[in-house]
Amino acid sequence: MTAFRALLISELKIFSRDRMAMFFTLLFPLVFILIFGFLMRGIGDVDQARLGILFTSETDGQSLMQTIEEAGSMDLSFFESQEELEDAVAARTIDFGMHWDGSGLQFFYDANRVQENFAFEQVARGIATEFDFRRQAVTRVLPIEEVHVGTIQSIGWYNLVLPGILAFSVLSAGLFAVSGHLTQMKQRNILDRLIVTPMPPMALLSAIVVIRLGVVFISTLITLGVGIAVFGLQFEVDWFRFVIFVICATLGTMGMGTIIALLVRRPSSASSLANVLAMVMMFFAGIYFPIEFMPAFLRSVGKGLPLTHMANAMRYVTGVIEMSELEFWAITFSLLGFAIVLFPVLARYVVRPLRR
Amino acid sequence: MKDILLIARAHIATAVRERVTLFWFLIFPVFLLTILTLIFGQIGEEGEISFDITLLNRDRSPSAETPFSDMIESVFRELATAQDEATQPLFVLHTPEEDADLEGFLESELTELRRGRRAAVLVIPEGFNDTVMGSLIEDSAEIATSSEVGEIDSLRIFMSDTSVSSEYATQIIQQILTEIDRRILIQSGRFSPDRAVSSETHWIGRQDGETPYVDYVLPGIILMGFFMNGLFGVPGTILFSRDRKVLRRYWVTPLSVLRYLAGFGLGHLTLCGLQFSLLFLLGVYAFGATINFAALDTVLLLVLAAVTFMAFGFLIASLAKTANAGMATANILNIPMMFLSGMFFPTSGLPAFIMVIVYANPVSYLLEGLRRSVGVQNSTIMPSIWIVIVPLLWILLSSLVTSRRLKWDVER
Amino acid sequence: MTDAFMMKVSRLTKHYGETRAVDGISFTVPNASVFTILGPNGAGKTTTLEMLEGIREPDSGEIEIFGARLKRVTRPVKQRMGVLLQDGGFEPYLKVHEILRLFSSFFQNSLPVDDVLEWVALSEKSKALVRTLSGGQKQRLAIGAALINDPDLVFLDEPTTGLDPQARRNIWDIVSGLRARGKTIILTTHYMEEAEALSDEVCIMDYGKIIAQGAPKTLTGDLGEETLIEFHGENVSTQAMDQLQRCCKATRSDQMMITLETEHLTETMESLFAWSREHDIKLRDLTVRQPNLEDVFLTLTGRRLRG
Repeated sequence: MTAFRALLISELKIFSRDRMAMFFTLLFPLVFILIFGFLMRGIGDVDQARLGILFTSETDGQSLMQTIEEAGSMDLSFFESQEELEDAVAARTIDFGMHWDGSGLQFFYDANRVQENFAFEQVARGIATEFDFRRQAVTRVLPIEEVHVGTIQSIGWYNLVLPGILAFSVLSAGLFAVSGHLTQMKQRNILDRLIVTPMPPMALLSAIVVIRLGVVFISTLITLGVGIAVFGLQFEVDWFRFVIFVICATLGTMGMGTIIALLVRRPSSASSLANVLAMVMMFFAGIYFPIEFMPAFLRSVGKGLPLTHMANAMRYVTGVIEMSELEFWAITFSLLGFAIVLFPVLARYVVRPLRR
Repeated sequence: MKDILLIARAHIATAVRERVTLFWFLIFPVFLLTILTLIFGQIGEEGEISFDITLLNRDRSPSAETPFSDMIESVFRELATAQDEATQPLFVLHTPEEDADLEGFLESELTELRRGRRAAVLVIPEGFNDTVMGSLIEDSAEIATSSEVGEIDSLRIFMSDTSVSSEYATQIIQQILTEIDRRILIQSGRFSPDRAVSSETHWIGRQDGETPYVDYVLPGIILMGFFMNGLFGVPGTILFSRDRKVLRRYWVTPLSVLRYLAGFGLGHLTLCGLQFSLLFLLGVYAFGATINFAALDTVLLLVLAAVTFMAFGFLIASLAKTANAGMATANILNIPMMFLSGMFFPTSGLPAFIMVIVYANPVSYLLEGLRRSVGVQNSTIMPSIWIVIVPLLWILLSSLVTSRRLKWDVER
Repeated sequence: MTDAFMMKVSRLTKHYGETRAVDGISFTVPNASVFTILGPNGAGKTTTLEMLEGIREPDSGEIEIFGARLKRVTRPVKQRMGVLLQDGGFEPYLKVHEILRLFSSFFQNSLPVDDVLEWVALSEKSKALVRTLSGGQKQRLAIGAALINDPDLVFLDEPTTGLDPQARRNIWDIVSGLRARGKTIILTTHYMEEAEALSDEVCIMDYGKIIAQGAPKTLTGDLGEETLIEFHGENVSTQAMDQLQRCCKATRSDQMMITLETEHLTETMESLFAWSREHDIKLRDLTVRQPNLEDVFLTLTGRRLRG
C-alpha cells in the first residue's frame, strides 16, 4: 500500500471517528443556514406589512382606499382615534399607521424599528404620491417601465446570501485544514512521528486535501439541498464550473492557511488567528451584510479580500448572478495559483518537526 | 479579602494578556459595532452612498424640441455632480460618447448591470417627448398606464434582482422621476400644488425623529460582549485551569472553593464593566449614540445580564467533561442564542418551533429589558416581569447544577 | 517546636476497588528532618502523600500532625503546611511575583515575596510570565509557592522528576537549605541518589506497604559489610557460573550483569581474575562499589527500583 493510500485511509478514519469534527464540519453549518434563513426570510418583504388606518374625514376617502389597495397586499386594520393608532404602532400590532384628516396624510412609525422602517416608508411614500395624483384626477405623464434583467428574477436576499455562506465554508475548510488540523498534529508531535519515516510530505498533504474536498462537496450539496427544500431558494448550478471552482478554492484556501501557519510561532496560535481572519473576512466580504453601503475605503478593503471574489464566483456557479467568463476563470485560477505556489512551501516549512 | 481581590486581579490580568481572549471579548464587539454602524447607519445618509447608473437618451434631436428628456437628463446630471468636496454625488452617471454606437453601448451597459457593476440603466426611447407631450394635451383617462407598454415608448429602468444597490437605486430613481412628473404636471397646470396632499411623519417613542441606528444596536452589542464573556470565558478559564491542574495547586492551600468563586466572579464582572465602558465610549464619542445608561433600572439590568451569562457559563462548565468539550458546547450554543434573541434581526417573523427557542433564551429577555430601559424599544414581546424572572430562573438552574456537578479537580 | 516528631501516621489505608494502593502503613516523621518515601512508580508514594496533604481521604488510619489527631487534614492545619504537588500548573499569563503574591494571600502569615524569590533563586525572573519559564524554573516557582507561608512542614512530591542534572542540583540545594532552617520535609522520589543525598530517614515502599525504614546508611549497612563487584560477562556457561558461586555470592541478571557480594575484597578480586583467565571471559564494565538503596530494594523485592 502506498503512503498516500495508507494516509488517506487513516485520515478518513480519524475524521469519521471524531464526532465533534464531523458535527462541526457537516451539521453545524446547517444550523447556521436554518437560523439565518428563517431570520432573513422576512427582510424587505413589504407585502406582509400591517397598516393601521384612521379616517377623520370622509373627503376623498374612497380614492384613498383605492390607492392603498393598489399599493400591495397589506394587512389593513381600522382605528377610531389617533391615540389608539399610536398605541398600536408602539405595541407593534401594526407596522405603521396612517391618518387622513381631509387635507394631509400623517404617517406613524415606531422610532425603534430601525431596520424595518425603510421599507414601510417606501410604501407610505408610494401611497402618498399616488393618492396625490389621484385626488386631482391626474395620471402620470412619464411612462415608466421597470425591466428586470438577469437569469433569476425576484429572488430574496437569502438566495444571494446562501452561496456566500457556501464560499465561507469552503474558506474555513481550507484554512483550518492547515491552520488547525495540520498545526494540531504538529503540536501533538504526531507530525514528528510521521516525518522521521520516509513518508513524503506531499503524500500526507494529498491525503488531507482529498478528505477536505470530500467534506466540502458533501456539505455544500447538503446546504444547497436544504436551501431549496426548506426555503424554496432557486439555483441553477453549472456543475462543471462548480466542481472546478470548489477544487481550486479548497486548494487555494489551504495555501492561505499555509501563510498563517508560517506567520505564527506556536501551532496552537494558528487556529486562533485563522478564526479571527475568517471572521473579519466574513464581514468585509459582504456575506451577510451588503458591502455596497459601506464607506468607500471599507468597500475597497472588501474588494481586496479573496472571500469577496470567492463568494461572487460561488454565486455565479450556482446561477444566482452573472459574471464574465474572464472574471470567473481569473478568480478560479488565482486560487489555484495560490495553491501551486504555496503547497511546496507548505510541504517544506510547515510539515516539519516542531522545534522545541 | 485580599485573596479574593488577588484572584479577581489574576483573572483580569490573564484575560487582558492572552491575545486571543482579548480579541474576542474586547476587539470583536468593538469591530462589530463599528461595522454595523457604518453599514446600516449609512442607508439614508446623504453624501455617503453613490450608485453607478447609466443614462441613454435616445430622444435627442438638434432640430426638434425635447424638453422632457432634456429635463430628465439634466436632473440626473445634476445629481451626479458633487455638491462639495466632502460629499459624494448620489450617482456616477455613465453616458455614451458623442458618436458612439448606441446599440452596442446599451448591450455593454446591460451586461455591466447583470454583472453587478451598474445599479441601473435608464433608457429614454425615441419618441418619448412626443408621447409625453401627447399625454399632456389629451385627456388623462385615455392614456395607457405602464401595463400597456407595447404601444407606448416608456422610459425603461433596467435593474437587477440580484443586487441590493440595484433595488435601492431603482427606488430612488422612481422617486426622482415621480418628482419630475409632478413638476411637469404643475407647469402644465394640470396639477395644483396648493391642493397637494401634505405628508407628515411621526415617530412614536421618540421626540426628535427616528432612532439612530447606533442607539438601537449599542445595547445589543454590549449584551453580546457580556454573553460571549460568560459563554466562552467562564468554561474556558475554569475548565482549562482545572485540566491543567492550576486549580489543584490552590486546593492544597487553605483557599476554599467559595472564596475562589468569589474572586473569580469579581474578576469576571470587572471585565464586563471594562467591555461596557469601551463600547459605551465608542458608541457615544465615535458614533454619536444618544442613549443614557445611568438610570438605576438600566444598571441593574446590566448587572443581571452579566451575572446571568456568567451563571450560564458555569452551567456549561459543569456539564462538560473536558475543556475542549466545554468550548465545543459554547461554540454550538453561541450562534443560536445570539441570533434567536432579536439582537441583530427582528424575531417577529419566525416560525413557531423556532420561537420556542426565542422564548427560552435568557438573552431575548435581557435584550428587550435593556432596550426598553434606555428607550429604544416601546413594545414588548413579553410582559415586564418575565424580563427579570427568566434570567433569574436560569441563574437558579445553573447554580443548582454547578453545585452538584462541577468538578473542581481532574481525576487522579 | 518542642514535639519530638512532626507527624505520626498509623495504619493508613487507601483502596481502589480490589487494589490496596496504600496498605495499612505506619511511620513517624521526626522534627527538622528530611523524611523520604522511596519506591518505584505505582508503589503508593503519591497516594500516601496526597492523604497527608489533605487532598485525598484515607479509608482508614490516623494522622497525628502538629500535636493533633485527625482523620483528615483540615484548613487550619493547611495554614502551617507547604505542598509541592507532583504535577500542577500555574496560570501561564501571570508573572512570577504575581503568582507568589496570590499564594501568599491564601495564608494568614506569609513571607515577603522577594525573600522567597531569592530563596528559590528566581529573583531575576520576578517579572517574567510563567509561560516563558523553563521546566526547572517552573519547579522552583512551585517550591516557592509551597514555602510562601513559611511552613513548618513541607511536602515535596517527586520534586526533581523530569529535570536536567543542573536543575536537579538546584532543587537539592534548596532542600538542604530548608532543613538547615529547621523545617521538616517529607519527600517522595524514585531516584535512589536523591534519597541518599538528601534524607535523614528513608522509608521504602512497594505495592502499598513499607518494606524498610531507617537512615540510608543504616539500611545499606543492614546488607552487611559487603562490597559489591559488578561486571558484564558474555557467554558465561552454567558451569563457569557454578564455579564462581563457590567463591562468593554471585547473582546474574538477565542483562548479563553479574554481581558478586563479598566481605573480602582482595581475595575475591584475585579469584575473579583467575576465573576469567580460566574461562576466557572478559570482565567488561568492571565496577567495585558499596551497596546502595537500590541494592536494598533488590534484596528485599528481587526487582530493581528503576523499572
